[in-house]
Amino acid sequence: MEKTNQQKVKDFLINNGVIIVMFILVIYTGFTSDNFFTSNNLMNILMNMSARLVIALGIAGCVITAGCDLSAGRTIGLGACLSGMLLQRMDYSGKFFPNMEPMNVFLVAIIVMAICAAFGTVTGFFIAYLNVPPFIATLAMMEIVYGLGLMITGATPLGGYVKEYTNVANGKFLGINYLIWIAIVVAAVTWFIFNMTRHGKYMYAIGGNPQAAEVAGVPVKKTLILIYMKAAAMYGLAGFMFGAKAGGASIQTGYGYEMEAIAACTIGGVSVTGGRGKVSSAIIGVAVFELLKVALQYLGVDANAQYVAIGIVIFVAISLDIRKYIAKK
Amino acid sequence: MTIERILEQAGVPIVVFVFCMYFGIRLLVFQDIEAIRGKNKGVVRDQKGYAIAAGKLVLFFGVAALGMAALIFVNLYAALGEIILSTIVLGVLWKRMNDKYGA
Repeated sequence: MEKTNQQKVKDFLINNGVIIVMFILVIYTGFTSDNFFTSNNLMNILMNMSARLVIALGIAGCVITAGCDLSAGRTIGLGACLSGMLLQRMDYSGKFFPNMEPMNVFLVAIIVMAICAAFGTVTGFFIAYLNVPPFIATLAMMEIVYGLGLMITGATPLGGYVKEYTNVANGKFLGINYLIWIAIVVAAVTWFIFNMTRHGKYMYAIGGNPQAAEVAGVPVKKTLILIYMKAAAMYGLAGFMFGAKAGGASIQTGYGYEMEAIAACTIGGVSVTGGRGKVSSAIIGVAVFELLKVALQYLGVDANAQYVAIGIVIFVAISLDIRKYIAKK
Repeated sequence: MTIERILEQAGVPIVVFVFCMYFGIRLLVFQDIEAIRGKNKGVVRDQKGYAIAAGKLVLFFGVAALGMAALIFVNLYAALGEIILSTIVLGVLWKRMNDKYGA
């Protein structure tokens, strides 16, 4: 049955309710605060968004296959610590490897991504070949990564990074921060993978109906392993970015970011029931989430009350997503 | 040893324990296999058998997480070894369980 215009408008308002409310909040904050609509603030928001977007894009792949990745936060922490260990100054008193020269920054980023990807591969193996549900497999990996991180760092925070590493966060190209460029490149590569490759098509097929996908000849197991491997590599890169931005890291870096990323994906339109979601969904979700946080800060909302507000947004967004799923069925 | 220190060092395993207890009990009592399998994963051969076996495995992992939480304060290597071993055991037993009761 054809929907009337009124029904279409109503559906649009309900389905995009969170984004519309956020948009109104941002406009309100902009008009009531002096420094909200400034280039500095915009650049600051984009910088905060950059690493979170990388995480969200990684998690989006898992969510599209109706999975999740609870190990993201801890993998980010491990990635940040590994980057820090390999990029400390020689004259720093608490240097982790006292006799080792700092390595090339790009090489470290690749090493960290490769190490984190190895953990993702193991998670993917458990999910694909041993049929362990994603939330249990990633919960287990979260513990393993946390334990490893504790063991490697001895729960000691890292600092004293070489200038080349901190420049990743401070340096600019064409007036735009390197961190933002990294996020743009990752988004472009992810868009290409999602839309232009066979792997991307397989991913959506698995999310829609894994059994039908298997019958249709989709290599479900291999695709799942690749998705979790790719996601973990992105968490490693996000950890590298967070380390550069903060100028230090500890195993607690990235704590809870997996929940934020899953929430951001859901707000943007990546369905937790699988089969739906785009790169633009993750970008919108992360932007809305970040704008909400900054707007609440500008409005002088108590830091603890901000958690409540963010929790309500997540709750509403996921409820609306489930509503869409039920309506579709 | 303060509560802050316990939560700081063993907070993650404790959260995992709570998660596992919740899902384990949900599986054992309500036999709600959709809670862990999702909605699109198809039907299983024996829902009750699957729910009970999966519930026990989830509880096993919860206890393993609690074990890790305790071992962290004794020996980090032992804690890590314990959780890796438990994860491997969980994976192998889950595969067997899935082959027996799953789709």
